[in-house]
Amino acid sequence: MDILTHLKPQAEQFEILDLQNEKTTVEYEANQLKTCTVAETKGTAVRVIRKGQLGFSASTDPAALEKLAANALESAAYGDPAPFSFADPRPAPIVRTFDRTVADLPIPRLVEIGREILDLILPVEPNARCNVVLERSLVSASIRNQKGLDVAFRTSPFSIGVEIDRIEGDDVLILYDQLGTTIWQDDYLDFVRRLVQKLERARTITTIKPGKMPVLFAPTGTLALGLPLSEGLNGKEVYKGTSPMRGKVGEKLFDEKITIVDDGTIDGKFASASYDDEGVPHRRNVLIERGVLKGFIYDLKTAAQSGVESTGNASRGGLFAPPQPSFTNFIIQPGETPLQDMLGGIDEGILVEDLLGLGQGNILSGAFSNPLALAFKIEKGEIVGRVKDLSIAGNIYDLLKDVAAVSREAQWVYSTFYAPYILIPEMNVAGKSQ
Amino acid sequence: MRDRILEALKRSKADYTEIRIEEKETTRVVFRGRELETANANIDKGGIVRCLIRNKGWGVATFNNLDDLLTKVDQAYQCAQVASVPEPVELAEVEPVQQVVTAQMGRDFRDVSLAEKKAVAERYNQIVLGYSDKIIDSQAAYSDSFSRLILANSEGTYIEQEKPSVVVGAFAIARDGDNVQQAHETFSTTQGFEYVLEKDELARKAAQKAVELLSAKPVKAGVYPVVIDQMLAGVFIHEAFGHLSEADFVYENPKAREMMTLGRRFGKGLLNVFDDGSIPNLRGTTLYDDEGTPARRNWLIRDGVLVGRLHSRQTAAKMGEQASGNARAINYRFAPIVRMTNTAIDNGTTSFEDMIKDIELGIYACDAYGGQTQLENFSFSSGYAYMIRKGQIAEMVKDVILAGNLFTTLDNIDAIGNDFKWLNTGGGCGKGNQYPLPVGMGAPHIRIQNVVIGGE
Repeated sequence: MDILTHLKPQAEQFEILDLQNEKTTVEYEANQLKTCTVAETKGTAVRVIRKGQLGFSASTDPAALEKLAANALESAAYGDPAPFSFADPRPAPIVRTFDRTVADLPIPRLVEIGREILDLILPVEPNARCNVVLERSLVSASIRNQKGLDVAFRTSPFSIGVEIDRIEGDDVLILYDQLGTTIWQDDYLDFVRRLVQKLERARTITTIKPGKMPVLFAPTGTLALGLPLSEGLNGKEVYKGTSPMRGKVGEKLFDEKITIVDDGTIDGKFASASYDDEGVPHRRNVLIERGVLKGFIYDLKTAAQSGVESTGNASRGGLFAPPQPSFTNFIIQPGETPLQDMLGGIDEGILVEDLLGLGQGNILSGAFSNPLALAFKIEKGEIVGRVKDLSIAGNIYDLLKDVAAVSREAQWVYSTFYAPYILIPEMNVAGKSQ
Repeated sequence: MRDRILEALKRSKADYTEIRIEEKETTRVVFRGRELETANANIDKGGIVRCLIRNKGWGVATFNNLDDLLTKVDQAYQCAQVASVPEPVELAEVEPVQQVVTAQMGRDFRDVSLAEKKAVAERYNQIVLGYSDKIIDSQAAYSDSFSRLILANSEGTYIEQEKPSVVVGAFAIARDGDNVQQAHETFSTTQGFEYVLEKDELARKAAQKAVELLSAKPVKAGVYPVVIDQMLAGVFIHEAFGHLSEADFVYENPKAREMMTLGRRFGKGLLNVFDDGSIPNLRGTTLYDDEGTPARRNWLIRDGVLVGRLHSRQTAAKMGEQASGNARAINYRFAPIVRMTNTAIDNGTTSFEDMIKDIELGIYACDAYGGQTQLENFSFSSGYAYMIRKGQIAEMVKDVILAGNLFTTLDNIDAIGNDFKWLNTGGGCGKGNQYPLPVGMGAPHIRIQNVVIGGE
């Protein structure tokens, strides 16, 4: 029995998401293969609009469709007024998100990839304790609504998360990065090689006098700048009135070297797909262009509340949560300057790789204040050693007004974040005085 | 279903196989400020198979489609094949059980309309908002969940359990200029819908506390004798001590293992601490854990001496001890790990009046508002507190943070109240990726000497 038949006579509008996910996880803990899990999820989430009000319910029990329909309708009786209608059927870009090679990766191959990763790290750093999580999924989703929208898509997400702890006496170094893709990448070990390079570099420890100095953010470090932007550019925060960028479309807010793009249409990337989670086609959204604010990201509801079109950014945090606006792939556009030239121009400064406690506090305001988990001293254009016990603080709405250079080189880090090196000419670096 | 489960278990090639099936219905209503934020119901039904191959390890399969258990058992078996434990996994002996546990509720909340549940949250929200014009924001929530669990294993255990839970909570934010204060209250029960009605007092208390805190002065830093109420004592023993008693933590951490040696003195002779999942109708009660081990009273500290710890079958075998009924999972998507059930400091003999009467200058700290522990070091914020002056409760103070070393603090407990109480809070405990797990806490008032209180 199709749930459509229960909903059709009772609601003006309805939307049905059917989701199926088969996920295989292989986990290494402290260099040991600890657990292997196969998880299969299958369920249905329903939204209805009845008498102008929005209702939601979800279920993983295929035998309880009638109850699911009744729950959604009852929820609508108390729901928010819905100033929007569910997605119109529209052609979407073709985005490659499925790869047989990934979908067919057998468990022994995942185990072997884990081994390859440990074999890159442990010979260099025998004291390291590595947690490696390899996850391969096969996701099928379909979205239907009363307007005749009926889209189905299939993705094959594959991710490898690597966390390395190195504890020597009182010195604790923790590094993390993650590869995420939906099509097979022959260079899947590159991000591990980068982690190993950081570990090797971090062996030399040096000191720097705290104070004002140039700060070069590595791609992993630019997350400190990107996180507040991703919140501030979210249409929900704009509608609530909490984004500092509210009402400033068309204004030049940042240095012209800064361009920020949301793009869910890139083949093979982790957050890519032809459609978003309510069936609106994904597209490339240029949000900040050469420092000028161009727009925000929206799902259908927040777009209607704000009197604009959805930007295709609806995302669900799983079956049991209704859609919310969220970034797909977050891209800081690379610039013109070669990294070597950026380093060469620094007489004394720091390279920021990782910060502790990102995302805590009032990040919407743009303010951040974080200890540096991994940073290096740059002296006369050379990276000379690791510096410890430092922290940086600032507000990205000030810092990004004056950017010295943005590198030509850029990297995908943490699966969905693409960023170059960014040089801030002067920032306050706090620490114990040497 | 039962036949299919037994058939799948019989055909498994693993050394040990376990199947758990869960069917859960939940409802949640949340008011925030004047707005209704959430009002919906969800259904979650699925299962998990765990297979153990003794000299390889565990394999796990989780699923929503219950039609093909044989395939799922095979998948879990294939997963176990690739594992590679350094030494064979043993499980402590547990007598196989066949049992059906049904829920005993007054008014079954599954028969109550969403409209009536919404009215409950709305009423408490109105009480908070209407308490004073200093209240600037509120949240009031109603939630319920009803789980039906089946657990069966290849040793002959087959248990069906029903677990109902209803929770109401009220949260108040009060403001006076730049001074913003908050307070919250929750109540939970397993016994039926009627128990969360007529909780106006709870909503009023949250609002009243938030408003009173506006005129409280920050506490002056120093070393004080501190009396803590049942709530703070319960949270303290759960967070600062209970987690250290979880055997998976102990055996994976050499430092913790040394710290938690049985027979070590943990406090004065008056201190007794236990964990007990067998007491009817408490939030952490689970008559059989998620490996089928029956719940029992596990003494952790007796007469001030460490005498026990909490185990799964695997940790018990590894440490040569008995399974204790503490292997728990938040739902079918997870394998069980070692968790607490209802954890408590046992009742003592001192009345509250006697406890405070000789205190010249001290603090009476109530309610817990977040905290952190790291091995033997802990830090807890109390929700609100009062000065004790010349043996009497005096003015309210705020920002009371208790920090210290667990062993020093336990040893400084010199009076235990005769007013033991189980706390009906609705919160849950987090460990690993598994949050929230319903747990119970209980304690009488206790007095601790020489507590370092931070502040101005």
